[in-house]
Amino acid sequence: MDRYLQFAVIRFKSKTAYRFDYFLGILNSLLSFVVYYSIYKALYGDAQSIDGVSFSMVTTSFLISLGLSSAFHKNEMFLQDKIKQGTIANELLKPVNFKLRMLFEDAGEGAFNVVFNFLPTALIAAFFASISAPSGAVNMLLCIASVILGYIVLWQISFIVQCLSFRLFSVWGLVTIKNVVINILAGAYIPMWFMPEKIRSILRFTPFESIYFMPVQLYLGQLGQWEILFGFLRQIAWIGGLYIIGELCWRSGIKRLVIQGG
Amino acid sequence: METMISVEDLSKTFKIQRRSTGFAGAVKNIFHPTYEYKKAVDGISFSIKEGEMVGFIGPNGAGKSTTVKMLSGILHPDGGSINVAGYIPHKQRKEYVANIGVVFGQKSQISWDLSPLDSYEVIKHIYRIPEKLYKDNLERYTELLDMKDFIDRPVRQLSLGQRMRADIAAALLHSPKIVFFDEPTIGIDVVGKDKIRKFIKTLNETDNITMIFTTHDMQDIEQTCQRLIIIDDGKKLYDGSLENVKTDCVSTRIIEAEVENMPSGLDIENTQITHDESTGKLTVMFDTDKISTSDVMTALMSTHSIKDISIKEPGIDSVIRDIYEGRIKVG
Repeated sequence: MDRYLQFAVIRFKSKTAYRFDYFLGILNSLLSFVVYYSIYKALYGDAQSIDGVSFSMVTTSFLISLGLSSAFHKNEMFLQDKIKQGTIANELLKPVNFKLRMLFEDAGEGAFNVVFNFLPTALIAAFFASISAPSGAVNMLLCIASVILGYIVLWQISFIVQCLSFRLFSVWGLVTIKNVVINILAGAYIPMWFMPEKIRSILRFTPFESIYFMPVQLYLGQLGQWEILFGFLRQIAWIGGLYIIGELCWRSGIKRLVIQGG
Repeated sequence: METMISVEDLSKTFKIQRRSTGFAGAVKNIFHPTYEYKKAVDGISFSIKEGEMVGFIGPNGAGKSTTVKMLSGILHPDGGSINVAGYIPHKQRKEYVANIGVVFGQKSQISWDLSPLDSYEVIKHIYRIPEKLYKDNLERYTELLDMKDFIDRPVRQLSLGQRMRADIAAALLHSPKIVFFDEPTIGIDVVGKDKIRKFIKTLNETDNITMIFTTHDMQDIEQTCQRLIIIDDGKKLYDGSLENVKTDCVSTRIIEAEVENMPSGLDIENTQITHDESTGKLTVMFDTDKISTSDVMTALMSTHSIKDISIKEPGIDSVIRDIYEGRIKVG
């Protein structure tokens, strides 16, 4: 595992090379938080809670979603760029599992984003918005575990879409559509509490609910034992299924690989 | 000596989209793309022994790089078999590539934002190179490739020649038994080329590393390899010692002359003469073993008034063409 950790470390290090980027990143996160905060503040008006959901629950949910989307880093153009420029040749010369190496590099950047982007943003946000405290140590650990599972699901979906670049060479459009769909279904834009019951009952079987929403619920301590168990089992099943699809896509792609540019 | 690399009837076909031009063409490309198939490698076989140093030569698009990429496990062959040091490269890629080093002249392997030294540290971990071996190799390559001045500078600030040397060291840090160089001297000046060639030769001699070296530059081959494989159009044209090709080709000369009057019935013994009527250019090819250059010149000048004249040694492209068309017999 140490060789894969190297990829994470190197990614983390090379991110620190661009300081201006880093300050702008914080500003960017802060702005999007303020936008959502203001919209929901106006919607709530004087009300303490809507449908049993308090305003501080909503802001906490947004802040966590914000943190997760910066932690869930995926370099979605990775495979496409490597194939387009032919540098995938160099990647394949490394005696490592290509997928794991990609995952760890992304995780390294995700870690950077959390430490240098999300944490400062959260600290500043806590000054003016009311944020709920975590509901306990066990719940916090479960929350982190569900974040990791959610990341693996999200990452594998991204990998499968990226594998299409072996055939299509350009997957930018697909990636964009995929992300919008996932963000809506996962409740990153509108908290799941406000989703119509019919849609939610379908979404219950997809992995999306657990990606953003389950960590929020665990953090707030809203889930019972059975719900937690079901959530985790569902994620593990999805991870297994997506892994098989990903492997098939990768294997068929690598066979038709053409190295561009000599 | 043991056989290190054996290749049997190897072939690879690429599907290429034929693009139509213009606006109508662009629309057609989207809705009805047409494809053609190109045989990049077409039934090549050879075997290379341990410690041998083999030059692959051929014009652009001959299939050299594709062959090297199949040998290094990057591309999957369509037909035929490859066995390198007991591995089937494309099937056992992860295990296999730990034993080889590959240098691509056109693609850098070290990180753009980091210094070579930082990249080497990463390589050390990825390949699990023992600390002592890493230190020894690093010291040795820094010395041999003259990298002291730039080893801790970000790669983006290095010159092409420096980057290439840093890249070569990167590919060799784990002491591979087999090394493929794919056009390592491309775009590099004479001094830089010389450093690289010397280094490669030293390494082959002292460490008994098996090497394949692809290039367009005949000089590269002359100074490093004993054995030569010529590839054109995906097929192997020649496989044998460099000496044979040299003795046969080195004696060939080409005289190009611009003449004022039209040559009529010009025929010099032991030469091949072609004449381009539109430009008035006269090309005379001959073998210095059969007729001396001065004899050809005298014969030419006695019948024609010459505006401009030049004498050329044939380049590798024409040597290959000659071999292909059977004008030069080797092997």
